[in-house]
Amino acid sequence: MARDVPLAVLGALTNVVLVLALSPFFQGVLRKLTARIQSRQGPPLAQPYYDLLKLLGKEDLESGEVPLVQRFAAYLALGSILAVAGLVPLGFRAPLSGAGDVVVLIYLLMLSGVCTLVAGLASGSTFSLLGTSREMMTMIALEPVLAVAMVVGVLHARSFRLDAVLDGSVYAAAVPASGLAMLIVMLFAFQAFVGRVPFDLAEAETEIMEGPLVEYSGRKLALFKYAQMVKLVVHGALFVALFAPFGSRLPFPLGFALFWVKVLLLVVFVTLVAATHARYRIDQAIRYYAALLAVSFGALALASYGL
Amino acid sequence: MLAREVLEELKARFGASVERADVPAENRLFVFVAPSALKAIAGHVFGDLGARYVISVGADDRPFSGKFLVAHDFALDRDHLLMSLLALLPEEAPRVESISGVVPAASWAEREMKDLVGIESVGHPYPKRLVLPDGWPDGVHPLRKDVRFDKVPDGFDPGREFEFGEPPPGCVVVPFGPFHPTLDEPAHFRLYLEGERVRGCEYRGFMVHRGIEKLAETALSYNDVPMMAERICGICGCVHSVAYVQAVESAAALRPPPRAEYIRTVMLEIERLHSHLLWVGLACHILGFDTLFMQAFRIREPIMWVAEKITGNRKTYGLCLIGGVRWDITPEARTELRQVLDVLEREWRAVAEAVSGDRNIQKRTRGVGVAGADQVKECGLVGPVARAAGVDIDCRRDHPYAAYDRVEFAVVTGQGGDVFARLLVRVREVFESIRIIRQCLDKMEPGPLALTVEDDLPAGRFGLSSVEAPRGESHHFVITGEGNRPRRWRVRAPTYQNLQGVPGMIKDQRLADMTIALGSIDPCFSCTDRLETVDVRTGASRTWSRQELAALLEEEAQGRRP
Repeated sequence: MARDVPLAVLGALTNVVLVLALSPFFQGVLRKLTARIQSRQGPPLAQPYYDLLKLLGKEDLESGEVPLVQRFAAYLALGSILAVAGLVPLGFRAPLSGAGDVVVLIYLLMLSGVCTLVAGLASGSTFSLLGTSREMMTMIALEPVLAVAMVVGVLHARSFRLDAVLDGSVYAAAVPASGLAMLIVMLFAFQAFVGRVPFDLAEAETEIMEGPLVEYSGRKLALFKYAQMVKLVVHGALFVALFAPFGSRLPFPLGFALFWVKVLLLVVFVTLVAATHARYRIDQAIRYYAALLAVSFGALALASYGL
Repeated sequence: MLAREVLEELKARFGASVERADVPAENRLFVFVAPSALKAIAGHVFGDLGARYVISVGADDRPFSGKFLVAHDFALDRDHLLMSLLALLPEEAPRVESISGVVPAASWAEREMKDLVGIESVGHPYPKRLVLPDGWPDGVHPLRKDVRFDKVPDGFDPGREFEFGEPPPGCVVVPFGPFHPTLDEPAHFRLYLEGERVRGCEYRGFMVHRGIEKLAETALSYNDVPMMAERICGICGCVHSVAYVQAVESAAALRPPPRAEYIRTVMLEIERLHSHLLWVGLACHILGFDTLFMQAFRIREPIMWVAEKITGNRKTYGLCLIGGVRWDITPEARTELRQVLDVLEREWRAVAEAVSGDRNIQKRTRGVGVAGADQVKECGLVGPVARAAGVDIDCRRDHPYAAYDRVEFAVVTGQGGDVFARLLVRVREVFESIRIIRQCLDKMEPGPLALTVEDDLPAGRFGLSSVEAPRGESHHFVITGEGNRPRRWRVRAPTYQNLQGVPGMIKDQRLADMTIALGSIDPCFSCTDRLETVDVRTGASRTWSRQELAALLEEEAQGRRP
């Protein structure tokens, strides 16, 4: 209805601001915890905020092949992931959940991945192209896993609507076999979705010099770094909404706090995995994703039989 | 076979081609041969006698014998013998047949001889520039005696480029270096990639060549050189300093007092400890395993502190003089060193278990960067790279020096010749080093620290010394000279040989493995590039002024090359 639209837009903006404000904090937690595991002091929790501010003020050298497309990729990277933030519940009902459905969500998530590809291609340097090819292989193998998770939810909820699916719908079967299977798959895949060790090969600093982002600097690099931080939080929120929505119906402060505690736990999980592993090589990673994909299709089959 | 036996065998086989010989000790042999027979004899020593190739040296001996000198150094490790095949070449025709056909490991050394001394190795399979920059004019050979150490040659051509070969069909060229996060020093590996697979590689290095050998021959004195030698490398300085003084001591028949030998041994092993710990951390960083990287460095730090307490510096010890050492290890330092070693051993055991048991690391390092025993022999690879392939060589045992003949230790070998094997070899060698240091601290007796050498050292004597650096054999060749300085000093760092093995190690491997394969030889480019071109950027230059060069760089940056 007409008067819901401004409210929805306002709500979406709230989501965006919330995510923008909190993502660097979670990144800071990740860095601090990593440092402590490595017997270091680590940077202050607010360091990512300082880093972004610093990058925003730095010289923006346009040294790639097609700077116009590079700019476009940077804006779209942050923009698309923020759009997802508007669709995902962040401790309260997603404000734009009536504006789109699961298909739009999957599309937007894929778009944020494509932005990295475009960035690498537009940069045109040998290393960025290498990173792009790795990222492409990763996306082809990995994105379907998330899509399957949501389709399982769709099958059980019998609806494409976001507020139906993003509410633990995966478990809504007589025997939540497919739900549990997808939970395990997503736990194993989560690290790859947020692009951290052992799955950070597309941007392996020691191998291909930051890959797709090698020709970025200053403001545009800040946008990409911000997009990566937001991605961590948004994927976390998505995971919680799909697989761990317990307590979401609690009254406002409690439900909200519980949600973010769950996201924090996910961030801690990501940190611990990253700190205890060496980076995978692309062929090893693809084999890993392929195995996950196989299990997901099995779960999909189960779901289509009502399990 | 001892020196005399080898000599007799060569004389029997090659007759009059063996012109004369010098046997200063049971474990040293210098054979002067006719230049026309040099290749055949070298091939015989390398192939039939099974010697290990060490280095080839070119020297300008014209002020003394009127000729150029070529020397090919070999090692018979089982027989504890270091030998050199030498030939004198006429001044007007400094050419000799290349031995790279029969001894592939000699490839770089012969190219260097051509660049720096002007001795041409006829028939060399890859006769391109190695050391001198691309624009350096032909015909100016820095190590010749008639070239001043600070000469700035006319005719430097900044537009001249290195001629790389054609990439194999279907391959993309990926430049690795001179700037790359994995490399600490500049080096250029031109990789030919097919997809993610490396199909070929060309190397261009020597970008930080510093003219050290030339300075030693012209501007330094015998006891100045160890200070310079220590600064050849950012990690293994002590090795070069000890190797140099040992070469001179061997040439002049000087034996340092026992306490000096023990102190040298202790410091060499301390250096091995900090080098291996650093490398393990670095290897983990290259693999993306930053936690182990940080932990390895944390465990390493106390060694650096104790080194600073003993020597005054974390890494550059200021240790050696001809005939001894410059300072003593005090009783307090000994106690502290023992404590540090105890803690280190305990913590390193945990790391050793973590590294050897970790499946993740094994996935990235098993079967990667393989150099088998054949390649070790062909390319003259040394150190952990050789030992990881099962080749049992270690200068501490094969050519004992300092106090190594008085301590017990095991030589750690591995199998498979891949990066994982090298990792394990280095991890385990740490424990052997700790053992050696403890034995030295127990066995050291009080005594003088250095000989008093009052006479001038005799000139024209040859000295060879092989010291086991953390990365492998560091070999120094010295000809003593007039004016209290050597006539010729050649430094062969282990990376010089190991780098030549890299193209073979990375062929048909994936790009992601290239960095760890390169890192696994623990490349020390500063050791390799000991000589550097004279800086053409000094204001005194007649050819290019600083402003002109800066303008040139500006133009290049804007895409307008002259």
